[in-house]
Order: sequence, then C-alpha cells, then structure tokens
Amino acid sequence: MLGLFVVILVGLGLSESLGGMLERWEARQLAGLAELRTGWLTQAMLAVNLLASRWTIRTVRWGTILALIAVRRWRHLLLFLGSLFAAELIAYQLSIGITRPRPLGVVILAPWNGYSMPSRPVAGLAATGIGIAYALVVPGRPRAVAKWTTGVVVGMLVFARLYLGVDHPTDDLFGMIIGVSIPLVAFRWFAPNDVFPVSYRRGKAAHLDVGGRRGQAIREAVRDQIGLEVLEIKPVGLEGSGGSTPLRLKVAATDDEPERYLFAKLYAKNHVRADRWYKLGRSILYGALEDETPFGTVRRFVEYEDYTLRLLRDAGIPTPAPFGIVEITPEREYMILMEFFAGAVEIGESEVDDGVISDGLAVIRAFWDAGLAHRDIKPANLMVRDGKVLVIDVFFVQVRPSPWRQAVDLANMMLVLAVKTDAERVYRRALEYFTPEEIAEAFAAARGVASPTQLRSVLKSDGRDLVNEFRAMAPPRAPISIQRWSLRRVVLTFEVLIGALIVLSLLVSNWAVFA
Amino acid sequence: MRGGGGMIGRTLVVGAVGLTIALPACSTAGSSVPSCEREGNETVLAAQAVPSATLIPCVDSLPAGWTFAGSRSTNGLAEFWLDSDRAGIRALSVTLTSTCDTSRAVEITAAAPRPGVRIFEEPLSLPPHFQADRFATFPGGCVTYRFRFTTDAPATVALEVDQGLGFVTRERVAGAVRRLGLTLCGAGAPPCPG
Repeated sequence: MLGLFVVILVGLGLSESLGGMLERWEARQLAGLAELRTGWLTQAMLAVNLLASRWTIRTVRWGTILALIAVRRWRHLLLFLGSLFAAELIAYQLSIGITRPRPLGVVILAPWNGYSMPSRPVAGLAATGIGIAYALVVPGRPRAVAKWTTGVVVGMLVFARLYLGVDHPTDDLFGMIIGVSIPLVAFRWFAPNDVFPVSYRRGKAAHLDVGGRRGQAIREAVRDQIGLEVLEIKPVGLEGSGGSTPLRLKVAATDDEPERYLFAKLYAKNHVRADRWYKLGRSILYGALEDETPFGTVRRFVEYEDYTLRLLRDAGIPTPAPFGIVEITPEREYMILMEFFAGAVEIGESEVDDGVISDGLAVIRAFWDAGLAHRDIKPANLMVRDGKVLVIDVFFVQVRPSPWRQAVDLANMMLVLAVKTDAERVYRRALEYFTPEEIAEAFAAARGVASPTQLRSVLKSDGRDLVNEFRAMAPPRAPISIQRWSLRRVVLTFEVLIGALIVLSLLVSNWAVFA
Repeated sequence: MRGGGGMIGRTLVVGAVGLTIALPACSTAGSSVPSCEREGNETVLAAQAVPSATLIPCVDSLPAGWTFAGSRSTNGLAEFWLDSDRAGIRALSVTLTSTCDTSRAVEITAAAPRPGVRIFEEPLSLPPHFQADRFATFPGGCVTYRFRFTTDAPATVALEVDQGLGFVTRERVAGAVRRLGLTLCGAGAPPCPG
C-alpha cells in the first residue's frame, strides 16, 4: 500500500497538471470545511489536536517504554523504539524531500512545524498506537480493540487537523500509511504472534504456541508422515530449552506398541535466525572458538539433529532413539521426533551415587572415543533412569571437535556431578576414565562462557567454588584462552561497529525528530 | 572463498544501506534554499509562517566560502542559516517574525535596501568571535540577522554575506501561487475562509 502511494505521489510530482489538480481539489475541500468553523467547534478541534502535541505523544511513549521494561519484553521494546524511530525519520525525510507547503486558501488555526506532507504528527500518533497494540496488548480481541481504538483516535486527529486547515487530506493519509505500516510490518516480521506472543503468563520467547491451528497441523502431519495418532501435545522442559520448543506427545497404541509418549522438538524460522545471531555474537566476542557457521534453513536444523541422534546411537551413547522428521509447514516449521525417556528424571532432581558418577564420566569417555563432543553438557540435558545417565538435546554435537571442546565437555560433566555430591568424590572416579593431565586440561579450558548458562547458574547458587576445588586436585595447568583472532572476526566486528555507529549517528542527528 | 565473498558482500550491503539512510539525514540543505530567483515551496512556507509579512528573506548569490546549511519554518517563524569557511558553522541565521525588539539597536538609515525597510544594528562583541544582531523591519514583519562568528574572522566577512541576501515580496510569491489556481492567505490577499 505504501509502495502504491509512493508511486501515485511520484506520478503526481512528475505531472504538474495532475499535481495542480490535486492541490486545487484539496484546497476546495479544506475551504468547504473551513466554512463550517464555529467558535465552540474550533475550541473542540483545538483540544483534539492536542493529541498530536509533543507532550501527549511523549507521555504515551514513555509510559509504553516503562511498561515494556517492567514486563522485560526486550524484543518488543526494541521493535517499538525502532519502528517509532523509523516512522519519524522516514516521515521527516520525506517531508523535506517533498517540500509541500501548508494548505493554501484557508486560514491555518493550529500550530504547525515544517512541511506538510506527510503529516508527521499523524504518522507519530499512528505509529505509537499500533506499536502499543503489538507490543503490549495480547493478540486476539484485545489487540483488535486496541487497533480500532488507535484508528478512532487517529481519525479524530485527522478530522481536527483538516478542520483547522493545518494538513491536506493526502498529508494525513500518507502519514497514516507510514505510521501504521512501519510498526505493523516490523512486529509481524520480527516478532510474529505465533512465535513471540504477547502474554502475561510465564514462558520463554523462543517457544511456539502449540495450541489451535498449529496443534491441529502437528496432529495431521504426524499421522500422515509417521503414521501415529497424536492424543495429546504438551510442552515440557521449557525452562532448560531456548533454541526450540520441546514437546511431549502422547500417541495412540499401534499393532506393535502400546499407547506411549514420544519426545518432539519443534523448530521454526525464528530458531534459525536466533542461531545465526547467537553464532555471530560468539564469533565477535570470542573469535572462531569452533565451527560457527550458521544453518541456512529450518530443514537443515532438523536434518542435522536427526543425523546426530543416529550417529550417537551407532556410537553406543545413551541418547533417545530417532523417530524421524515431520514437516509442519514447508521450509518454515519442522518437528523432530524421538524416544521419550519415560521414568527418567533430570540429574538435578535425581539421587547421584557412585554408579551415576561413573556412568556420567563413561558417557564423556564414549564421546571422546567416538571423536565427538556434546557441547551442551548441563543438568537439563542429563537424565537418570535406573542409575544410568542418559543424554538428551544433541543438536550441538560436533564431529571431530577440537581437544579444547572435548575438554570442556569433561569439565562440565564433572561439575554437574559434583553439584550433587562433592568434587573429591567425582575427581577420584574420573581418574578411572581420564588421566590427571586430561582433567587438568579440562579445568584449564572450562572458563566463563565455556560452561552453559544453566550450569553456571547452578554453580553460583551452590555456593562452593567447585571449579577451583577441581583445579587444586589436578596437576597445575596454565589456563587456556578462549579468545581466537582471525580476519573474519575483525571484519565482523568492524561491520557491527559500523552498523552501531550508523544507528547512533542517525539517533543523534535526528534526536529532535524522534524525541 | 565463498565465505569471504559473502562477508565482503555483506559489508558492502551494510555500508550502502547505512549511507543511503545516513546521507539524507545529514543534508537538510539542497532543494530547501529559499532562493530570490524563484518562488519555491520553501519561500511559500516562509510566507505562510508569518502571514502578515510583506517581504520574505531569501538567498541571492552567496559569496565564496558561505554555504546554505539549513532551514525551518513553523507558525510564527521562518528561519534559515548559513555556514562560513572563515566565520564558522551557523555563522549567520536569518529569522523572519512578525515583530522584533529593536529597542537596544541603532537605526542605520543609509543601509535601507528598499523603500519601507528600516535597518537597525546591535553590536554584541568585536573580533575575535564577532557577534552582532541586525534587524530589518517592514510592514507586517521583521527579519533578524544573527551574526555569531565562532572564529577570529573579521567583521568585514559579515558585510560580504550581506550582499548575497535579499527579499522577495509577498505579492510576487502570492502571484506565483495564484497562477496555480490557489490563494496565499495573509497580507495583501483577499480574505480566506476561516
């Protein structure tokens, strides 16, 4: 719609006679409206026009920003600010490019500032209203009400500004198009409802809503592609998972199997984007620590995880048996199905005895011997059933990893086990599988971000300095730096800095327009 | 090789997008120069800002070293400003309002550029950092020239730029608008609705 309007504008601009006709037509309409002016109505319209005042808009915007900070909805806050900035900037730049004077032929009764097309107050108010509707209001009827309310408020403002002779009709129309379309596109593109729903219940941003149409699509896809009847879909383990939506599916009995549970992970395009940004961040902060090449498509995501499940099973590592990949929406959403470890509990909630310690260490030994690294050893990814350690979430598995990465896996496993027991007990058991030098290397490598966030948080709440306890027991070993420098890292850092500088300079040079 | 190409391509795209966005933000000048040669939209807007003004300040031909830097118009005020390579950034701002306070300024009778215009001057500081206000009053309006040199440029630089500035009559601007079948409300025009 915006594009169409720009084409019309360019056409009018190129054709003087058409442009002149439009000007005269609009002037006649405004003159007709001006004939209706009466004292009380003018006072009322001046009051309505206060909706566009700097202080009204500022108050509403600051209120929204504070509300978004209070509910810690950072993505929506960023989009709200970004779309407001873009709308204001585009409206301002277009106005100084088009240089359309204020309406001619009528007395202008309200304050104004700068050229008239597009109407910046209308664009600003519309962008604020739509931004609020998408950033703060839950989807469905409440959001529809918010959008209609914005429409009514902006409509009132437009009528007031036409009555007061301060804008042309097309100025306001253009302003509305800019103010509505920019936040609308921004929120729908970067924070779609089904991926980042505005909700006042607890939950992670990366998790998809599996009710409604998506739930139905999952049931149909599993039936058609895998041949199983889904009886129930339940999100599980959301706290420990940020890169996908983990689900427990209850499937109906078949000729060979009774009614049972399957584990599933739902991936969508936003997970691909999140993976890309995550890896970009790591590349800038730490350099080429390991393979930081992002996945190009959702299909590749699930294909890779399915491959790692099969690879680990072949290597004899206790991981869920793969049940295949289900296509929910081609190239947009895929789900990987695997065995559900019924009766298993997360290691953090399980009793850890010497048998579990040995088993956990043996799992790492098996990874080492097979030339693999898990790369995400943390309590949420280790289950215990009948005294045996089971490994889940194998998405990050790397084939032929660096010795550094393998060492980090060992350190992380020892830390997970020590949290439930003590460092000395775990160290003694570890010597059955690893040499003291290997353990020393593990704790020389396990620094900062080498350990997953969940593990770091568990260690922090534990209170003991387990890392240093292990280091004290192992032979002395100089710390291994996690910083790696390369041309790619320098170029990436340069790109990000340039981008940040451009945004900063835009903000500074247009602060008056924005604020 | 492929990764490198992608990286270079990405850098170019980031740079191009950045420049595309940033350049217009840095250039408030360009087509917005209120020229004395033609009755452009910026002059019409200035006339709308101060409907009582019978004269509108404009830029004739700026002497070497002076450049048009920006303009703004709002109800009651129209302003543009100039940069100088010798006198500094925003060395001169020219502001049109309906009235101005000339009580502390001295009238310079000989400097009147046209009948009906009275010139007043109020020196504020001598070089270095020459500063002075000049006022041109006429029926329905007043133009204030604020010289604010940020360097040690001599006061004669102010005289140079003075030659490059002028006025366009409201009548001429209204005539140009009338040729489009429209009316510029304000001084000299028939009563407008409202």
